[in-house]
Amino acid sequence: MRTDSALQRPPSATNASAPARIELRGAAKRFAAHGAEIQALSAIDLSVQPHEFVALVGPSGCGKSTVLNLVAGLLNPSEGAVLYSGKPVAGLNRSVGYMTQKDTVLPWRTAESNVGIALELKCRRVTAQARKDRVARMIDLVGLNGFEKHFPAELSGGMRKRVALARTLIYEPETLLMDEPFGALDAQLKLLMQDQLQTLTQMARMTVLFVTHDLAEAIALADRVVVFSPRPGRIRTVRTVDLPRPRDIFNVRFSTAFARLHEELWNELKDGIALGTNV
Amino acid sequence: MTRKTWRPVGGRGLLAWQAVVLLLLFAAWELAARYWDPTWTSSPLRVVERLIDLLKGDLYRHLAVTFGEIAAGVLIGGFLGSITGLWLGASRFLGVLLRPMVVTLYNVPLVTLAPLFIVWFGFGMESKVVLVAISAFFVVFFNAFSGAQKVDQDLLQNLHLMGANRLETFVRVVVPASMAWIVAGLKIALPYALVAATTGEMLAARDGLGSLLAKAAARFDMTGVYSVLLILMLVGMSIANAAVRVENYLLRWRRANG
Amino acid sequence: MPTRNSGDVTGTSTPFLRTTLGVLLLRIAIVVAVLVAWEMASGRLISKFWVSSPSAIFAVLRRWVADGSLWMHLEATVTAIGAGYVIGCGAGIAIGLLLGFLPRTQRVIAPFLSAFYSIPKIALAPLFVIAFGIGIESKICLVAVTVFFLVLFSTIDGIRDVDPDLIESLEIMGASRFEIATKLIIPAAKPWTFTGMRISVRYATTAAILGEVIAANRGIGFLIEYNSGQFNAAGVFAAVLILVLVGVVVTELLTRLERGSAPAVLPF
Repeated sequence: MRTDSALQRPPSATNASAPARIELRGAAKRFAAHGAEIQALSAIDLSVQPHEFVALVGPSGCGKSTVLNLVAGLLNPSEGAVLYSGKPVAGLNRSVGYMTQKDTVLPWRTAESNVGIALELKCRRVTAQARKDRVARMIDLVGLNGFEKHFPAELSGGMRKRVALARTLIYEPETLLMDEPFGALDAQLKLLMQDQLQTLTQMARMTVLFVTHDLAEAIALADRVVVFSPRPGRIRTVRTVDLPRPRDIFNVRFSTAFARLHEELWNELKDGIALGTNV
Repeated sequence: MTRKTWRPVGGRGLLAWQAVVLLLLFAAWELAARYWDPTWTSSPLRVVERLIDLLKGDLYRHLAVTFGEIAAGVLIGGFLGSITGLWLGASRFLGVLLRPMVVTLYNVPLVTLAPLFIVWFGFGMESKVVLVAISAFFVVFFNAFSGAQKVDQDLLQNLHLMGANRLETFVRVVVPASMAWIVAGLKIALPYALVAATTGEMLAARDGLGSLLAKAAARFDMTGVYSVLLILMLVGMSIANAAVRVENYLLRWRRANG
Repeated sequence: MPTRNSGDVTGTSTPFLRTTLGVLLLRIAIVVAVLVAWEMASGRLISKFWVSSPSAIFAVLRRWVADGSLWMHLEATVTAIGAGYVIGCGAGIAIGLLLGFLPRTQRVIAPFLSAFYSIPKIALAPLFVIAFGIGIESKICLVAVTVFFLVLFSTIDGIRDVDPDLIESLEIMGASRFEIATKLIIPAAKPWTFTGMRISVRYATTAAILGEVIAANRGIGFLIEYNSGQFNAAGVFAAVLILVLVGVVVTELLTRLERGSAPAVLPF
């Protein structure tokens, strides 16, 4: 249970023996659909350290979203194990905040009412005044000043995404799961949001698992980039992004280190698609 | 090949045309009264006279009775129907289990049981209120039930992940999400309530528009019959209008302005 | 987000109660339990006078079948519904098409149509009885009027709903007004009309029964009214049961018709 806090946390002493925040050991997932069995995810091994920002990149249908769902506890693995803070994920994982591709903003609430909803819940014990303050701060952070009292139907798609982002970040979940959150935004807005995301997650020292199509976005934001091969999803490569933090999201893509990494990973991605079967 | 036939039509001329049609209707009616036996056709003038009489007389009492039965019945039935419908619909298992029974019950037109209700609850307003309440209950129940079942599971899961317990998701997601359905149910229930109240009153009542109608018909008082039909027309229209207004208010978040 | 464990190949196995067979058995169990409780309560907890009992109702039904009165009343009601429905649909479609193709006329008389529609149809029953007597004609009239409005509005909505861009593209191709009407507008409006026809079946049934309740000498509605007057609760419930069965049969028939598995009854 988190009490009201500024978005700062003291760094924890990470040592090798501390458990990884997220761990997938030989985790695989199969679905039965239309009478056939679909292998969404082949056995993969992945481990994410606390406070780490890991990006998952790959073509459509390669199981990236499935990984997020496994970590959130929305799905059980068909094989292998999914561990969170050293313990197997059983049922819904309430330590994560999940921002999905699909718009799950509540249409009958105003923007600010949506943003504050997590703080209304009994498990958080936040006073009404504290909630109002935090909501106001969040609205400001995502740049929706002036639109607090609008209903989602009155907001553009990009604005709704920002509401969803604010809503997920406001209660500072330990881990953040994001499924192509900025996919539908225009280029400028995307960069802005990436910048905000970096600021907030670094300040609160959140662990982030970020799924995206956009390789540049992945490299700009992440500490590590995991490249998936097409279905059935397998991990092709994992690369550490050595670019120093804090990163200037708007200009980092012009650095040579970035370009080199991008080219390398792009080739991995391309080869993966070329070799892959159905997408 | 005329293009204008398919184009949307509008304009000031519309009202003028409608006024013309109205006058023509009245004129035709008046003519019919002169050519045929006015005992059967009555005439606009007679009806107007009768309406004035009624207004001066006890029309208010009858209106109050009918409206009272409708209001009480819809409020009671609607409230109970929403609660039960939401509660049962929110549970996926119960929903699947009870669904065919709910559908069967919904198919029984309760209004047809009016005679039974009169036997059970008597001549007065109570029997009509119960009739209205039960019909409203079923309509709203069915809608609330369907609404609760159709709540977007993703919205629910999202809130669960945030740490909400079952009660919180029920109150914060299921109830508001089903509101559109409940309101739609109320919109259906209101005209149906008018039918139920009128039927009950026609069968056995002292007061109410239905009883006015039945008594006039029994006396072959065509002027009376047409007058009450006209009043019922206005009542029906105002109820439908009110229902739409309530819906627009309760669901104002649906209108996309941006 | 996926629904938890949907389509899962692994995961916990379903408890029996949640399988299709289990659910079916549970439903049957519930119905049986209700009937048994009803039978027990009647006469002991609640006076037989008010609620009757399943056994009494069954006895009444048996008697009706035996002396043929069931069929007579059923026939009266079904005929009223059927005839009224056909007339109402016919008129509704005809005038609906007419008004659909004359949008200006439709706009002018639309408020008059809604005004007449807002009269509770049941209130027209005494009028029809005065005009046509207590026999089946007044019921047919009532059903026809009820169905007429619903089908009319559906048809008009269907025609109005056609995308003007589609019309324009056909015009540009050189289609005549008649061709546009037959190749685009009518086929596009058909589903709307069918929906109206489907919805109005329920209302037609209610209208027929109500007409019989108000004034008749035969029919299911008459049975309800007569038995109520006689304080014969068993009779009333028996009549209601028949009503429910009729409703279920009709709904089944309609669903099958829509899926195409029943022989085409309608000329469409």
